[in-house]
Amino acid sequence: MRFMVSAAAFMLFSVLAVGSLQAHHSPSAIFDMSKRVDITGTLTRVDWINPHIVLAIEAKGNGGKVDQWTFQSNPPSWYKSVGLARADFAKAIGHEITVEAVKARDGSLYGYMQKIKLPDGTSYELINSAEPK
Amino acid sequence: MSRVFAVVACAFLIQGVVTAQQARHPDLSGVWSYAIDRAPAALKKEVNGQVTIQKIDQSARHGDASAIKGVQPSTPRPAYKPELLAKVKDLADHESRTDPVFYCGKPGVPRIGPPRKIVQLAKETIFLYEDISGDPYRVIPTDGRPHRQYPNPSAYGDSIGKWEGEVFVVDVTGFGDDTWFGEDGYFHTDAMHVIERIWKDGDNVVWQATVEEPKVLAKPWVMPARLLRPSTDSLEESPRCVESDAPRLLNDDHHLQR
Repeated sequence: MRFMVSAAAFMLFSVLAVGSLQAHHSPSAIFDMSKRVDITGTLTRVDWINPHIVLAIEAKGNGGKVDQWTFQSNPPSWYKSVGLARADFAKAIGHEITVEAVKARDGSLYGYMQKIKLPDGTSYELINSAEPK
Repeated sequence: MSRVFAVVACAFLIQGVVTAQQARHPDLSGVWSYAIDRAPAALKKEVNGQVTIQKIDQSARHGDASAIKGVQPSTPRPAYKPELLAKVKDLADHESRTDPVFYCGKPGVPRIGPPRKIVQLAKETIFLYEDISGDPYRVIPTDGRPHRQYPNPSAYGDSIGKWEGEVFVVDVTGFGDDTWFGEDGYFHTDAMHVIERIWKDGDNVVWQATVEEPKVLAKPWVMPARLLRPSTDSLEESPRCVESDAPRLLNDDHHLQR
């Protein structure tokens, strides 16, 4: 398992949707927004559900054990509005991907996905501005 | 032969009457969209070093609709009776745990806001919505009938519609008491009465609602108007809603809502 804590400050974000009511908790109620992790492993599941899409990854953990990571992200309608569908992620099921996320405060293998890198080299990243970083 | 001719002539006559009735009013039919606050504001895509940015349109949300013709003066918040302010604050402070919408509940009227699609017919108008709690619809009679006498209490209420000049007015009663009419703990009782007003503004549509709730509000609340723009984005079935974060909540932080 590749486990790296990023020192980069992270933005606070919300997950409201066009034409679709999406009231939910703030990510900061669950996730430590300053604790960013990079996880590389095999994508096993993509759940296209409200209020957040969910991706599951099997990653090599300490001592050779397999860690089951779960990541949530923005709602389906948000991804629809930026032109992405479940198939854009699901095509990588069974393949190795890398996810950058902020980690749950409770210490579980749970995170809020901020960036995903797919096997074909394509990456998608949530940003808080329309300007390239 | 003459009987056949008479039947055909009547059919054309009836069609003409219906068309004329529809023509008297602005046509609200169409798919409409509006953007509300949501960040991250964009998605960054990178392929072989080439970066593209897909922005989220937030312009409609941030536009001030108060200057649009026909918009009534509004206030950002409802005026609750003084003895209920503490309850509202408590609900709002713990919103991520107390708001039914946080847990895939129905937002109801007026919290769901304007419809995504309007189908305006001769004797009824249909509102279609996209929402994470499901994809509700409302069939609003416009044939002059009164409210149902004993409607079952519901989140979207019992609606009847009529035209007041160029404005389509929807009168809604028959609510239950288990929804909020807005964020920040805006609870209500089954006495809630909502009036929605919808009209054309050029190519756009304007939606504004008023909440009358004599049991909890000191005066009716005129909500801020929403400007809707024509949309080519088709309606899509909302994926099922599965809320699983509640056990992980470690504080009461919550983000902005509509």
